[in-house]
Amino acid sequence: MKLSSFLQAAAIFRKDFLVGLRRRAAFAAMAMFALTTIASLSLALGGAFVEPKLLAALLWVVIFFAASAGISGTFEDEAAAGTLSTLKLYAARQAILFGKMFFTLASLGALTIFLLPVFLILFDAEIARLGIFSATVLLGLVGISAAGTLTAALTVSASAKGGLFPILLFPVTLPIFLPAISLTEAAFTGAEFSAEFLAAMIFYDAILVTAASILFDFLD
Amino acid sequence: MWKLIILLTAAIILAAIFFVPPVRGLGELAKIIFFHVPTAWVSVVGFFTSAFFAAKFLRAGEMKFDELSARAARLGFIFVLLATASGAVFSKLTWGAYWNWDPRQTTIFVLILIYGAYLTLRAAVSDEKARAKVSAVYSLLSVLTVPFLVFILPRMYFSLHPTPVINSAGRLEMDAEILAVLLAAVLDATLIFWRLMKEKN
Repeated sequence: MKLSSFLQAAAIFRKDFLVGLRRRAAFAAMAMFALTTIASLSLALGGAFVEPKLLAALLWVVIFFAASAGISGTFEDEAAAGTLSTLKLYAARQAILFGKMFFTLASLGALTIFLLPVFLILFDAEIARLGIFSATVLLGLVGISAAGTLTAALTVSASAKGGLFPILLFPVTLPIFLPAISLTEAAFTGAEFSAEFLAAMIFYDAILVTAASILFDFLD
Repeated sequence: MWKLIILLTAAIILAAIFFVPPVRGLGELAKIIFFHVPTAWVSVVGFFTSAFFAAKFLRAGEMKFDELSARAARLGFIFVLLATASGAVFSKLTWGAYWNWDPRQTTIFVLILIYGAYLTLRAAVSDEKARAKVSAVYSLLSVLTVPFLVFILPRMYFSLHPTPVINSAGRLEMDAEILAVLLAAVLDATLIFWRLMKEKN
């Protein structure tokens, strides 16, 4: 029986979710990485007042590197276990990509829900505009998931992966971070924000998802 | 071809020293543009050339396109370093600091990061076929940042950088002599790039 691509993607999402629950390593590494980074920053600053702009930048730096630590193994773990070729045999390519992408997005969402309260408490910060803040974080995570899933597929056959993944991901996701940092700053201060930045993020997310979908077909 | 390039380069250097008048307000300093603008131009040309051959490789699957894509990136990397260094020196002399994340400095820095990431990726994959595929895909992925860097970034940050020769106002704010030498220098740098692309291994 051949499942539709959507069901296949959903099945891959479910499989990754179950494997992730069973072998908590990837998620634990991501969460502890975020915690360690936030703690080291907060300790170093020693409770000093941090400008909203700097705070917004720090938040995105933490999200970026924690995400890098967590999602670089999206395909590699599967290749190491020897199940990647089987997966490719059974499922459509696009289903694999989107299944993995949605799983990455879900993990990053869970990570953010975990790290945000810690971040806000340790830096004694408050979010003045929750709506714009949530939208910014969601759009940022969508972009990181799309670019990150494709990048993870690129690094499967590479050596020195740990360092390579963030190097490859950063330039491609930079167009997300700059507007995201401005919007996050506005969400902290409650100042007016520019709708142009939100539009730019939506637009760039759409480009990244489309490009990941097109380019993934060329990899084997 | 090399003879022509050497002649042209020598002519441009002489013209820059003796023929071009000092620029009002900037004096002799402004002459760095005869080095800075051509190298910056070639670093962008190299980036698109690399992506162009990456796309050709993905369509045709011939290894020669991968080789060309890699070569364009290696050359582009050298040129982008030269453009950045010359820009930073000019920035120090006119704005007072080597680096201040002006939109154009940001753009060129992202270009360095992309070139560096691409070349690191190539170094990290040992299998030839796999390396060709993943680097082609990455090359095309990184092209997506271009519209952002060119159109959106300059709106976000204030820039001190002089407007390009071909600017949105459609006006030429440059003396004819300077413009002529500059265009010759851009042509010269492009020829050097083109000649090096055709170099046999």
